[in-house]
Amino acid sequence: MSLNLKPKKWAGAIRQVTLGARTRRPLVVAGGRGLPMHTFEAEFPHRPALALEITDVDPPRWPDAVRQPWDGVVGRPGEAAARAVRDFGADLLMLHLVGTHPDRGNRTADEAVADVRGVLKAVDVPLIVKGPGTGQKQNEVLSRVAEQCAGEGLVLHSACQEDFRTLAAVTVAYGHVLVAESPIDINIAKQVNILLSESNVDLNRVLIDPLTGGLGYGLEYTYSVMERVRLAALGGDTMLNCPVICLVGEEAWKAKEAKVPADKEPLWGDQRARGLHWEIATATPLLLAGADILVLRHPDALAHVRRTIDVWFPQTAGG
Amino acid sequence: MALTGLQIFKLLPNTNCKKCGYPTCLAFAMKLAAGKESLDKCPDASEEARAALGAASAPPIRGVTIGSGDRAVTVGEETVFFRHEKTFVRKPGLFRVLDPAKVADPEATVARWAAIRIERAGETFRVDGVAIREIPSAAAQCLACADATMKHGLPAIVLAETPDGAGKLVEKLKSHRPLLVPPAGADPGPYASIAARHGIPLVVSAPDLSALASSAAEIVKSGVADVLLEPPAADLPALHRDLTLIRRGALDRVHPGLGHPVFLRVGQGEIEKAVLGITKFASVLVIEDDASETWLPLWTLRQNIYTDPQKPLQMDPGIYAIGEPGPKSPMLVTTNFSLTYFIVSTEIEATGVPSHLVVVDAEGMSVLTAWSAGKFSGDRVGKALRELGATDRVAHHTVIIPGYVSVISGELEDALGHGWRVLTGPQEASDIAPFFRDVWSGYP
Ligand code: B12
Ligand code: SF4
Repeated sequence: MSLNLKPKKWAGAIRQVTLGARTRRPLVVAGGRGLPMHTFEAEFPHRPALALEITDVDPPRWPDAVRQPWDGVVGRPGEAAARAVRDFGADLLMLHLVGTHPDRGNRTADEAVADVRGVLKAVDVPLIVKGPGTGQKQNEVLSRVAEQCAGEGLVLHSACQEDFRTLAAVTVAYGHVLVAESPIDINIAKQVNILLSESNVDLNRVLIDPLTGGLGYGLEYTYSVMERVRLAALGGDTMLNCPVICLVGEEAWKAKEAKVPADKEPLWGDQRARGLHWEIATATPLLLAGADILVLRHPDALAHVRRTIDVWFPQTAGG
Repeated sequence: MALTGLQIFKLLPNTNCKKCGYPTCLAFAMKLAAGKESLDKCPDASEEARAALGAASAPPIRGVTIGSGDRAVTVGEETVFFRHEKTFVRKPGLFRVLDPAKVADPEATVARWAAIRIERAGETFRVDGVAIREIPSAAAQCLACADATMKHGLPAIVLAETPDGAGKLVEKLKSHRPLLVPPAGADPGPYASIAARHGIPLVVSAPDLSALASSAAEIVKSGVADVLLEPPAADLPALHRDLTLIRRGALDRVHPGLGHPVFLRVGQGEIEKAVLGITKFASVLVIEDDASETWLPLWTLRQNIYTDPQKPLQMDPGIYAIGEPGPKSPMLVTTNFSLTYFIVSTEIEATGVPSHLVVVDAEGMSVLTAWSAGKFSGDRVGKALRELGATDRVAHHTVIIPGYVSVISGELEDALGHGWRVLTGPQEASDIAPFFRDVWSGYP
């Protein structure tokens, strides 16, 4: 009996979304026509993109192992951006405006705009701008950024089921891309996209953030929801076929296992390498489950994942 | 290969006698094909029909056991491609490579590996077994490795270099059901006869998937019942392709040679390969790297991927003693999600303060998830505390709740009734130590 293994064909495809415009070098993501990373049987016009995370202020909760490569530029977004792109090879960046949170400095929307401008000046890659978390302050900060940086094709993070109108409006008005977040729930992921499209947001300008559980802290939930989202998308569900973005670094470095020194837990091994492995072992399964953009924190984790992507997509554009 | 209704129908008596409870043999055949009935209900079915259906209902991936006794590792028997379809059932075995040329004192090394136990969310992480590299020029040292492995009761894998040397190792290990791994690409003949003679499992490799499937099928015919497949892939994407096609082919029963668990070698510094293997269907991994910082994430990943998606790892509700608490000790309440319990209990233990930790039934959800789902409301928690008898355990009539659910404190106070105080603890369990020091100490 000889083997007859037919490639799997799907009715649907993932949307291609262009990140960055005007002064940005545009980056197109997704567009795959098969299960994630199944390059042996389906077409993938673009490779997964790798972002690094930078912050507006010194983030108090970053462990030393992940601060070290950013030494001297932590909380200085312009300089950090330059290092991330020039030295670490990020395809794009995520500026997390931690300091605008009312409890973490309460920086103003204008200060946020200045930070974003600083990054846009320092580098020409697309930029994800993450607010302080759902609520009035986030809406205020992100709409000001959206308005002041009109046309840059920024990726605004994020809108959710309960609070999407403000960001939907500025996304449409000022030519940006919007991240739709849902709490590891395929029905809510779909519902937010339906709400966004009813608010005139073109779903070709939307990314899904399914909410990442880090390794050991809910990774399996995210993994399976992403697989289900991708299956629905490939089956032809046009409300779920947006590219998927995963905030990996933040979740991986939150884990206790990434923070505890070796002398406290002798069976856990070297702390720095352990944290790095935590980030890699969170990122890699999510790539396999359908992530089109990974936001990482440690440049060495990016280098590792980059190597994987390079062998996987030797000829593919992007990156 | 799965049989269709019509294929099964042809095997039935076609008398429409209705003894099975269906009006016609065809109707019964359709139910059988859908897996909704058992052939036992037809008293007149022939032996031939039973044999054919038996083969078709055998698990799509054969189970294989390596080792013996309570440390034996059984893999295979998977029935789905996506874990959300049902669940993955057999955790892959993670074996450490023991290289006789590199290890001066095998006994000490294996003893160290065998002693590793890491508790995490209801599971104990351990090194599942030892993969002994056979080195022809170091035969005595190889045998010493086998002795050490047996002495510590760990399952063994023989990574063969030569049939001769491997034969001697297998001879020594045979009562412990070792897995025999020929060098990739070697003529399987001599190794297959060793495996057949001792009735032990064997790894099969081949230059491509087609050859792998037919080689595995032939080796099974030649008398080795338990085989594992080594994917021919040279790099990560090819490995992903092989792993995918083997699992898909096994589930679709396209070729009997694919219905076996997969074996994978992971070299030094190849953590991505191990991650890919654990995530995507590999069943036995032999890992060169023995560093804890590599193993901890791999064990954790395996725990995540092999958790049953329908039921998160849960603790039994109850009052758990940390240290030897008395009526004056603090009483804290949390959910029965294993991960939550594991983190909170570890942190309380580290404070050295004897405590009562009350675990209430929240259907295995984390604190905020449970609260959002209405399973950790003040009422529910209050009722649970009373039903578990927690309210009789402490004289100070104070209960500490997780900081993330400070909103339930009023309702919980009402539910517990007069004289009870609800104290909101910190949000993160790691802040329990300063909380005990700064807040609790001034309390009761
Ligand atoms: C994995 C996950 C799920 C999984 C379930 C996992 C599980 N078994 O619980 C799934 C996908 C099923 C899920 C579902 C939902 N989820 Co959910 N989920 C998460 C996620 C990503 C991680 C939760 C987790 O495992 N945390 C780890 C555990 C260990 O944390 P923990 O139990 O809180 O314990 C910590 C502390 O509370 C503290 N602690 C615990 N006990 C105690 C006790 C004391 C005394 C003290 C002092 C401290 C303490 O110590 C621990 C470590 O510090 C979080 C987001 C996040 N990143 O945190 C959202 C999150 C909890 N989910 C959320 C929501 C809304 C939901 C849903 C309602 C969504 C929906 N509509 O489907 C459902 C509800 C479930 C249902 N109806 O069935 C929200 C809650 C929002 C809120 N603020 O209330 C969150 C925060 C996500 C978000 N930002 O929107 N979820
Ligand atoms: S009992 Fe057997 S022979 Fe009789 S109707 Fe059912 S399948 Fe046919």
